[in-house]
Amino acid sequence: MIRAERVTMKFGRIAAVDDVSFEVAAGESVALWGSNGAGKTTLVRCLLGILRARGRIEVGGCDARRRGKALRSLVGYVPQELAFHDDTRLGSAMGFFAGIRRVPASRARELLAQVELDGHERKRVRDLSGGMKQRLALAVALLSDPPLIVLDEPTSNLDAAGRDAVMQSLVALKQRGKTILFASHRPDEVSSLADRVLVLERGRLVEQTRPSLLWTDKAGVLTLRLFIDSDRETEAVGVLRGAGHLVNLNGHGLCVAVSSDRKAEPIGVLQRSDISVRDFQVLADHQPDWSRS
Amino acid sequence: MSGSLVQAALPAPRPCSVARNVIAFARREVRDAVSSRWFVLCTGAFALLAVGVSFMSLAGSGSSGFAGFGRTAAGLLNMIMLIVPLMALAAGAGSIAGERERGTLLYLLAQPVSRLELLLGKYLGLGIALTGSLCIGFGLSTGVLAAKAGGADAGAMLALVASTCLLAWVMLGVGMVISVVSRKVAVATGVGLFVWLALVFVSDLGLMAGAIVFKLRVQELFILAMLNPLQAFKMGVIVQMNASLDVLGPAGMYASQTYGNSLPWMLVGVLLAWGILALAAAAILFTRKKSI
Amino acid sequence: MKARAAVILVCGLSVATARAGQDADQSATRPVSEIEALINAGGEGATIHVPAGVYRGNLRINRPVTLLGDGQVTIDGGGNGTVVEILAGNVTFSGFTVRGSGSGVDHEPAGIRAETGPVNIENNQLEDVLYGIDLRTSSNSVVRGNVIVGMDLDPGRRGDGIRLWWSHECVVEHNRVNRSRDMVFWYSEGLDVRGNVVSDSRYGLHFMYSHHTTLRNNHLWGNSVGVYLMYSNAITLIDNVMERNRGPSGYGIGLKECDDIEVRSNRLTANRVGVYVDNAPLSEGAFGRVHENLIAYNEVGMLMAPSNHSQQAWNNGFIENEQQVAGNGRGDLTANEFHVDGRGNYWSDYAGFDRAGDGVGDLAYTSQSLFEDLMSREPNLRLFMHSPAQQAVDFTARALPVMLPQPKFVDEHPLMTPPQVPGADAPSGSARRMGALCAGLLVAGALVMLTGAESISRTQGGRS
Repeated sequence: MIRAERVTMKFGRIAAVDDVSFEVAAGESVALWGSNGAGKTTLVRCLLGILRARGRIEVGGCDARRRGKALRSLVGYVPQELAFHDDTRLGSAMGFFAGIRRVPASRARELLAQVELDGHERKRVRDLSGGMKQRLALAVALLSDPPLIVLDEPTSNLDAAGRDAVMQSLVALKQRGKTILFASHRPDEVSSLADRVLVLERGRLVEQTRPSLLWTDKAGVLTLRLFIDSDRETEAVGVLRGAGHLVNLNGHGLCVAVSSDRKAEPIGVLQRSDISVRDFQVLADHQPDWSRS
Repeated sequence: MSGSLVQAALPAPRPCSVARNVIAFARREVRDAVSSRWFVLCTGAFALLAVGVSFMSLAGSGSSGFAGFGRTAAGLLNMIMLIVPLMALAAGAGSIAGERERGTLLYLLAQPVSRLELLLGKYLGLGIALTGSLCIGFGLSTGVLAAKAGGADAGAMLALVASTCLLAWVMLGVGMVISVVSRKVAVATGVGLFVWLALVFVSDLGLMAGAIVFKLRVQELFILAMLNPLQAFKMGVIVQMNASLDVLGPAGMYASQTYGNSLPWMLVGVLLAWGILALAAAAILFTRKKSI
Repeated sequence: MKARAAVILVCGLSVATARAGQDADQSATRPVSEIEALINAGGEGATIHVPAGVYRGNLRINRPVTLLGDGQVTIDGGGNGTVVEILAGNVTFSGFTVRGSGSGVDHEPAGIRAETGPVNIENNQLEDVLYGIDLRTSSNSVVRGNVIVGMDLDPGRRGDGIRLWWSHECVVEHNRVNRSRDMVFWYSEGLDVRGNVVSDSRYGLHFMYSHHTTLRNNHLWGNSVGVYLMYSNAITLIDNVMERNRGPSGYGIGLKECDDIEVRSNRLTANRVGVYVDNAPLSEGAFGRVHENLIAYNEVGMLMAPSNHSQQAWNNGFIENEQQVAGNGRGDLTANEFHVDGRGNYWSDYAGFDRAGDGVGDLAYTSQSLFEDLMSREPNLRLFMHSPAQQAVDFTARALPVMLPQPKFVDEHPLMTPPQVPGADAPSGSARRMGALCAGLLVAGALVMLTGAESISRTQGGRS
């Protein structure tokens, strides 16, 4: 379904994506794993043909450079957070995308009903909650029933309930044979949805593996969110990486993947470096099963 | 909720034709523009000015509206040359840069559309919205002229409206060039303002100085002035109303005598050239960009 | 079948018509000698009704007769010389169509030429002639109701529509001249020139060394100059209309070195220059009066040579001229008077007030514009009229009085209302068409405005 050969995307001198090659087969579900700045978002944009990368990208036999429009018609895209004109009403936004995707208005209404947004058509995009926005984005992505769904950290701005809803939908899509490529920094999501993980580091593809091999410990993996003074966060990331942890830094704190039986270890590592942890939060203490509906 | 997100019997997806996408973008653009505060403000301001100028120029004289090139037309022309390029440049400058700043550009381009379609759609939509806005202002002003002056030359008025719309589309294109290369709306608007100043004041004042200091010959002065789309617009309107440019003194008379009947086409040609070149430049810059 | 029959019928008809036309031509074209024979046959002062038809050749009338064409006689010179030559006085020549003079400038071929007067030339139609009606030393003549259309030549190669040369006490009235050079009067005094219409020519009415004449009710439009008086004294212009006289000179009225000229109650609109005054009055003690005129929508209302003095202008309405009064070159116009006996002119751009309510403004009207001042230095700058840059220049000068030029003239007693000039309000278009345009534009605007609302409601409505 996807074939990427030696994809490189430079902004100025800095290579956001550096010589990345991989393939995704039809029906496969692949995660892009990496910290912020590892190049996940840039790679996704290159795959969609939004950014003109060097190298070769093919989706469903369509070359990104020459047939970008055809390529994107095979892809449903869900961004980190839906960005659409704030003044637009949900109904007319959906109508607009239905027109672009060449599907009848009835299909748009059907999808809105499925993501439980029917009845909100008069609402303006600015008045939607984060969860509603992501459900709208999902509905837009599925309008034309494309074979490939690409998601860029779709749950990062959502609360637990919103995340559960989106993940449930994705698992259902996977079961129906959709190819899924998604960027994530949450081990729980990756291990429950992905067949394969592409690990990105500073724009380079450093590892292609299975989620179970990434976190070998059978005790289960969970995510620990640490709250540290913001001026020391970057330093903390370095320290934790040095100690062999998978770390991700985002606006909501610093997330570390840990085995469920060694939860305190990162805190200890930080304390040895004189970095105090103000608070922490365990994001999931069990292997979630999103296939349940 | 996970029920039947996937529909079994949908046809294989294929992208829409260029025209359909352009029209879809244009419709969205018109809708967004019409419902935006900025647009309503501009429409109101233009209508107010057009009506005000019509009233003022008619007050006192009480006789034929477009007899000769009276101050009604002259006043409207002056007001148009100030306001319309500003409106169109600002609209154009905000277009792509605004989408980029709000992050909507990425999302739109992730759909099965091309950059060119997006650009053309926005151009078309904004152009239509501007035209509508101008029509309302001119409509009210025409009403004032019809009611107060007991009639004026409808053909001349129509020519003025048509030329002004052309000018708006041209300046919109120039604004979009600025927009394509600007990261932020504020920067784009600033550059737009600068271009506006340059076209409205700086180039003319420069040429005036040139005429006085270097004693530019009439043909040089005319050609140089004509290259400015605003001057081309002005001369075009005057030619349409007077069938001659002699109201513009020796240089105008030279132009009328030298180019005769081809003069209006030349002037329209200058405007069209600006519009086409601007749009082409915007399209090339936008589609060739590696990132967005 | 029916169609084919119709075609045959039509062909047959057209053949028949063509033949009939040829026959008519052959039967009607006669030599002008037939008319000359009629003249010779009749006695002195005879009245001759010339039989209808087309006569070819150059007609010479050498005895006093009344020759009537009754609108059915055409005399065609065939492109050679002067078509009708009147060599005797007391000739009346009326109701003819005269065409086909020579076109070379040698010998000035004309439609009708009189070498002596008095003659009556009335109600003739002249076309395709180089000069129209040419009176030489033909005093006490009448030229009335003739329609003259000149040859389609470059302006420089045309002849005069009507020319009087050393012909005094003549009446020239209700003639229509189109596409000629001038209607010109040389060395001719005591004329009565009224009700003529001259258009698309060089100078509508042109006076050279011709004195003591009144011009009344003439309509001069689309010429280079409406009325040009040169070296001619004691002339009164009343109730004339000069409009859209543009071109190289472009004056409604031009006065060059003339004494005792009175210009009253004329309407001067949309000319390049309304009134051009070049050394008028010229002599000590002579007057020049311009009053009660409507001077509107011209590029320059009144243009004066800088050396001009003693011209008086009052009670005029200066309305929406781009430049109300300008000097033709540098220098001020203060040697002239813009108010007489406490009454000045109406200026549409006057910003003062009239507290006393006597119709005269309390503040003086002055004309100070930096841009106009620059234009008098560099006429090419007029190219930038009607642009914001021009306004910027004037605005700057008003904001920084240092940059303001000296006033060109001062009207101490500006009027609050313009004078009434007969026939001054003729709207050039119809209110109905403007109304329709207004409605059309508003509908177009509303359609655009409604597009948004409509498409939202459609998405909405489709939902249920």
